[in-house]
Amino acid sequence: MLPAPHQQRIEVTRAPLRGVSRAPAAHAQANELWAGVHLPGIDEEKLAGLAERAQRFTPRVSLAPPDGLLLEVRGSLHLFAGVAGLRAALTDECRHLQVQPVLAFAPTPLAALTAARAQRALEVLQAAQLIGALAPLPLSALRWPPDTLERLQRMGVRTIGAVLRLPRAGFARRFGAAQLAMLDALTGRTPDVRAAHQARARFRRRLELDYELQSHALLLAALTPLFTQLGAFLEARQCGVVELECRLTHRQAPVSRCVLRLASPFSDAQRLSELFGGQLQALHLPEPVRACELRAAALVPYAPECAALWQPGEHGGGAGRETYGFIERLRTQLGPAAVHGLTLLPGHRPESAWAVTGPPPVAPARRAAPEPGPEFPAPQRRPLWLLTTPRPLGVRDGLPRRRGPLRLVSEPERIETGWWDGGEIARDYYTALDIHGVRLWVFRERAAPHGWYLHGVFG
Amino acid sequence: MGVDPKLARLLAHPGVWRGRSAALLQVLPTGFAALDGQLPGRGWPRTGLIEILIARFGSGELDLLLPTLAALTRAAAARWCVWVAPPFMPFAPALASRGIALDRVAVVNGARPLWALEQALGSGACDVALGWARRPQAREIRRLQLAAERGRTLGVLFRPRHAAREPSAAVLRLTLAPCAAGVRITLLKGRGAHGSVELNPLA
Repeated sequence: MLPAPHQQRIEVTRAPLRGVSRAPAAHAQANELWAGVHLPGIDEEKLAGLAERAQRFTPRVSLAPPDGLLLEVRGSLHLFAGVAGLRAALTDECRHLQVQPVLAFAPTPLAALTAARAQRALEVLQAAQLIGALAPLPLSALRWPPDTLERLQRMGVRTIGAVLRLPRAGFARRFGAAQLAMLDALTGRTPDVRAAHQARARFRRRLELDYELQSHALLLAALTPLFTQLGAFLEARQCGVVELECRLTHRQAPVSRCVLRLASPFSDAQRLSELFGGQLQALHLPEPVRACELRAAALVPYAPECAALWQPGEHGGGAGRETYGFIERLRTQLGPAAVHGLTLLPGHRPESAWAVTGPPPVAPARRAAPEPGPEFPAPQRRPLWLLTTPRPLGVRDGLPRRRGPLRLVSEPERIETGWWDGGEIARDYYTALDIHGVRLWVFRERAAPHGWYLHGVFG
Repeated sequence: MGVDPKLARLLAHPGVWRGRSAALLQVLPTGFAALDGQLPGRGWPRTGLIEILIARFGSGELDLLLPTLAALTRAAAARWCVWVAPPFMPFAPALASRGIALDRVAVVNGARPLWALEQALGSGACDVALGWARRPQAREIRRLQLAAERGRTLGVLFRPRHAAREPSAAVLRLTLAPCAAGVRITLLKGRGAHGSVELNPLA
């Protein structure tokens, strides 16, 4: 049954501001601990930057504009040697951005933020001690409207402790329900849900060069800070990139674009920079470069690989990380189509029984166990080499020739299929030996001119 | 003939090898007992470059390697099996039916086959790399051999038969030609290896 509105009102009128029937901890969400960071004089951009950097402490970071940051750190305490260690690490992080933070720890986000804004380095780990610790804080830290604060001051209410002792109903009537809700969130009486800061999913950084550069090597060196930033950006998101674009701005010529496409996600800035260097070498620069911009779109979640105990090839050690680097190196130098894998198709025609897999198959790091046997046992003997298009053979006396007469050494195998998709074939395949003893796979068309073709070579 | 046990112990040292006998080295069984008996260490070397000299493609050179390739690609922590600049398209159904795990096979084509082969050998990402090169220089073969040692990879270079006259840094060289019994393999160079053997790689 839903509670009737008047019942709720009765509860409001009876209870003092500080809940008696329900302990404050009842709603402090499942044992949270919030770090409130007050950053006087920070601008919006720096705050967002700090929020991104702060994601290395906890995934639950929320902004409290204009000058506050909140982190839920209960789960991170043991990683940073407790509150003291975390405080030191967070302070360090802020000093990188040239801001002096005030840090407070409390079980509710608003309490942590209020304490920090009141310049108190509060450390309250237990919900039961929260109200006692908040009581001496000045009311101004709550950032209520000035007239509200002034009226409260005239009533002799100057601290949070004093305002919490006022009757709820009267307070709500005089100062507004919003202020009451804020006090409830402050003490943990009602849950205070904070939206987690969503880091930007695109990387885009521009670098104006001090000098115009024409040399590829110097350009790559100049791009190093951008790659370092990209590495930090990807690490914070646990993501990799599969496509990286660099735009090089010239004085007059149109912008040169250098695009690196990868078969598997990469997050290591060092390796990305190496691969990009290979790609850059191939780029023709019409004019010296004045500025560059590095863009990465389409982030892909990246599972970092464990380093194996054994080196590749040692005691059966797998290829590990080298696999990706090797294939990428070949692709950047020789072109994306130069490297491919092979796969089977369930087709009966020799042409349609296999396919090239576009990007090279990304090798699984380690297979559970070798498979017991071939998946597609070939019914007949097939050559190890296939000519992608059959090559016509010379004919004398109705028999095929290639560097001399061919000797047919097998029974014919008829392959007659594909009428449904236009690729209809009707052929009799033979194994043939040429005069040098090379075994060939040849066929004779069953249709009118009965031509002979070479289609494969046995290994 | 009895050998002094002290001498036998000395000769068993991996750093010592005699003209006829081979030093202890890590090998891969070829799958053919007759060939194993002829090769130093009784198998293909685990790392290093071998050269197979053939008069024309399809002389049986792939059949000879298939048991080794199948074993390597089916191993639990198999690395790549790379084919650099093959003369034709490797026919996937035939490879699969001969036991090769296709998900470990990568084919590389392009303008610089020797460079690609060196990358494959030296990267450590490959168990075996097969290469077909038109006219590699002696210095390039030396680079391939060093790369294979560096990457702990077996490299196989297929070259025309007349290259037998040229010197080569490969650890093992052999010529292969079709014959009535199958193929005839003649060892040209190898640590303590010489002689020839006839076998049927399809048997």
